[in-house]
Amino acid sequence: MNSLEAWIEQPDTTVRSGNDIKKVNRLFQQRGWSDGLPIIPPTPERVREMLSYCDRPWDLPVGKVAPRYGEATPIRLAINAVMAGCEPEYFPVVMAAVDAMCDPAFNLYALQATTHPCAPLLIVNGPIARELNINAGINAFGQGRQANSTIGRAIRLTLMNIGGGYPGAGDMATQGAPSKFSYCVAENEAENPWTSLSLERGFDQNTSTVTVVGAEPPHNVNDHASSTGTGILKMVAGTMRTTGNNDIYNYQEGTYPQPLVIFGPEHAKTVYADGYGKEKIREYLFEHARVPMGEFSQENIDSRFRRKYGDAPLELLIPIFKRPEDLLIAVVGGPGKHSVVIPTFGATKAITRAISHADGRPAHLISDLKVN
Amino acid sequence: MSDELLLLVPEAPAAEPEAVSAGQRKPDVNALRIGLLDNSKANADHLLRMLSEHVADEMRVKSVTSLRKGSVAIPATAQVLDQLAHESDLVLSAMAD
Repeated sequence: MNSLEAWIEQPDTTVRSGNDIKKVNRLFQQRGWSDGLPIIPPTPERVREMLSYCDRPWDLPVGKVAPRYGEATPIRLAINAVMAGCEPEYFPVVMAAVDAMCDPAFNLYALQATTHPCAPLLIVNGPIARELNINAGINAFGQGRQANSTIGRAIRLTLMNIGGGYPGAGDMATQGAPSKFSYCVAENEAENPWTSLSLERGFDQNTSTVTVVGAEPPHNVNDHASSTGTGILKMVAGTMRTTGNNDIYNYQEGTYPQPLVIFGPEHAKTVYADGYGKEKIREYLFEHARVPMGEFSQENIDSRFRRKYGDAPLELLIPIFKRPEDLLIAVVGGPGKHSVVIPTFGATKAITRAISHADGRPAHLISDLKVN
Repeated sequence: MSDELLLLVPEAPAAEPEAVSAGQRKPDVNALRIGLLDNSKANADHLLRMLSEHVADEMRVKSVTSLRKGSVAIPATAQVLDQLAHESDLVLSAMAD
């Protein structure tokens, strides 16, 4: 199909509603197309405006979204981004994140369908994160900033409406998590004493990126007392070593869990000042974030760990992650003595994509992507 | 102001499943080879054993090939699938919790 106008004329691509916000929302709720919060009505005019920041053909899929494997065409993504409340300038970030999520190594099929309370966490790096005012500071994981809230929400609506991840059908989460409404932050590069997440993952500082992580919600590390890096890392390790997180099921073959530690800037400064680079942090946490096998129930020991560790004693320390290099580290947040630990789904790999033109060239400014 | 709004549907249709040709083998019902694929969920092995025992009660079973996925959350390897295809007339897979 060549024409967007012709596509809109197709009987299955449009729906009519009474011209009233409540009627629109009632209709979208009834159809199962909403996350439960009010949506912005996706009129053809608003969707065209959303596409004004997309230089890719409107009908050329970015990927197929599991488990339904619906085609994530820019037009479908734009509809969901409008509903989420995105500004058109945010749309390239949504597209890059969807591209990343559709990488087979991310294992979106399992992330969508699982009973586990995970959601794709988006971490945005680079000049575009600052240009779009994506919150990297105070309350970055919380409410208050349009870019964080609506980009993350567009991802959730996409997972539902294109991927088929509807609660009870395609999304079988036992309890789910509030992060499934929206889960998007920027890295606080200005207060990161180490290499940023995107530089570490092979991109240069002028390239803006989105990293997706199949993640649980953040778990707090309250440490107002430690004045050394080792002290803070000891507290981080203590928060990481829990029996109930998926990452520790690392007896499974072919999986390399990548839990995420996000330091608040104050903790990051102290840890850095104590001589800890990222490699040394990883080594410390690999050694100390371990759970004695005896902490697990006998049934779990028998069914999960004996297969791998044989007759090892109950004092055996089981690591949360298999290899030091798998730990992800970033800096997010504002003032305060808190960091967060983010366990993952386990069988997933973090994926990073540059925010790019259709031909793959990274965009340096979001305005570079404006097409009309 | 119009009484009606035209809105775009956010839902994408499901992908068309790829066509797969049905197997041409004709199993010997007097010497059935059963394959079991344990997805590694807790208790899946018990469920599969019960199912295979039930099949054995109803039919003549020549062999049982029992394999296990490395992880519940990732697909079975090609090696596992090939072995099951080679050694089985009928494969039972199950999940449990």
